[in-house]
Amino acid sequence: MTGPVQNMSTSTTQLPSASVGAATAGAKREEIETAIIARQRGRARRDRFVYLTIRIASLLIVLGAWQYYGDHSIGVVFEPITAVVSALWHLITSGQLGPALGYSLWTFALGYLGGLVAGVIVGMCVGVYRIVESAVGLYVYALYATPMVAIAPLLSIWLGFGVLTQEVLIGLFVFFPCLVAVSYGVRNIDTELLEVARSLRMSKRDLWRHVLLPGAAPYVAAGATQGVAMGLVGMFIAEILTQLSGLGDLLETAAQTYHTDQALAVLIVIMFLGVVLRALLTLIQRRVAPWAK
Amino acid sequence: MHLMAAVTERAGGRIECSQLYKWFPGGIVLEDINISFESGEFVCIVGPSGCGKTTLLRLLAGLAQPDHGRIAIGGQEVTGPDARIAVVFQHFGLFPWKSVYRNVALPLQLRRSDRDQIEARVHEAITAVGLAGHERKYPAQLSGGMKQRVGLARAIAAAPNVLLMDEPFAAVDAQTREVLQDDLLRLAERLRQTIIFITHSIDEAITLGDRIVVMGRAPGRVVSDLPVPMTKPRTISEVRRHPAYAELRDQIWEQLRGASSM
Repeated sequence: MTGPVQNMSTSTTQLPSASVGAATAGAKREEIETAIIARQRGRARRDRFVYLTIRIASLLIVLGAWQYYGDHSIGVVFEPITAVVSALWHLITSGQLGPALGYSLWTFALGYLGGLVAGVIVGMCVGVYRIVESAVGLYVYALYATPMVAIAPLLSIWLGFGVLTQEVLIGLFVFFPCLVAVSYGVRNIDTELLEVARSLRMSKRDLWRHVLLPGAAPYVAAGATQGVAMGLVGMFIAEILTQLSGLGDLLETAAQTYHTDQALAVLIVIMFLGVVLRALLTLIQRRVAPWAK
Repeated sequence: MHLMAAVTERAGGRIECSQLYKWFPGGIVLEDINISFESGEFVCIVGPSGCGKTTLLRLLAGLAQPDHGRIAIGGQEVTGPDARIAVVFQHFGLFPWKSVYRNVALPLQLRRSDRDQIEARVHEAITAVGLAGHERKYPAQLSGGMKQRVGLARAIAAAPNVLLMDEPFAAVDAQTREVLQDDLLRLAERLRQTIIFITHSIDEAITLGDRIVVMGRAPGRVVSDLPVPMTKPRTISEVRRHPAYAELRDQIWEQLRGASSM
């Protein structure tokens, strides 16, 4: 959806073209217009440059401070950025990071997808059908208010200490925010649109197709984005609390053995993971629901 | 002219409301409404807020049921939303996820009309409201006036016998409203559908209507039913310059005041 944005920017920068008049006046006007556009472009470019400079400066200061503090503190407590980067390199080359990342991502993907799909379906039903809402709403909201970490030990008792428990836990972390976002979204579909649907005598099927599903799409996308953050939290809790594995294992082991540089390296990997996944989802969101701002 | 042909084929028929009553938990909203609308007539309903004019429109649209009384179009009772009726909504009622084209095509698509027919009708309706060239845009890219043009196009694309309009121009600015009024006058001349137009603006009612029904509040009822003396076709400026304009305006104003002070 770059269309509207482009339209808007051209309409604000271009003055209405010269009306019929003396050719010289037209030419003069065009000249002024070009000058204005050039000036605005110049200003925009300067702004971009300023903000980019600030960004880079901030990054340099933070990294510099990190390096300085790391150099002047005891190794166990903190490590300079150079040590962290070399620890990261060590984790990669020694073949520790690859399998751990693979395991974590795969567990996360399964748990996340399961939680998302279930959350969207249940959320839709809770939002649309009052019967479903009154039947299960109470439990849903009670569980939503419960910190999911508290469920981890119980899940281990019920499902064992394997990967299944981890997937279910991640799923639960994703499930509730999705459910709440989607049911809220469906319930907040413009009532006038529902009137339109009624006046057009839409069948149940058409109502879902033309109104409810597209109306909920932006909320599904929002739930999915929030689910990524929650799911990553769930992933770490699962990997540390149920059975040490994946990135959680890497982090926990590094910390237990006072390899602070490695622990920080894992942390950077996780940060990177979160940022990339969120960016990916924002991209999908724009594709799926381009009308939602 | 597919649209015109489609409309005259199922030549509308008179709309009759007899002894309509509607209660809401707060009290009575409509009391003993008896009005009829001739086929092809443009009737404006004016009244203060809370006089039940929107409720009356919802009853006519089949979106709500009267607690007592009967509404019939061409002798056939209205029991629910009806293919003979199209509604133009106050806040446009456009689906933000559908382009202009898809919004207008929706009623035809729901009827499972064939593709070519849909395309021809939609094209004609969009051209009729002056939006040709904007088919691929989304509602968010349109101004308020343009949005309501889409709402109007969707209503007429379905070729209904009756157009119900609920304060359709209340949400746009004053200048745009006048342009829309003029365009609606011209469009109504061409289509000759029965149009029931709800407004709280006396000027708008005089400009557009062949007849004006004045409603009063608490309980909602018909206060008077006045013919508009200006002949059609006409434009806003012709109406405003007409010698009978000021007098009619005062008359309606007095009635509205009298009705709400009771």
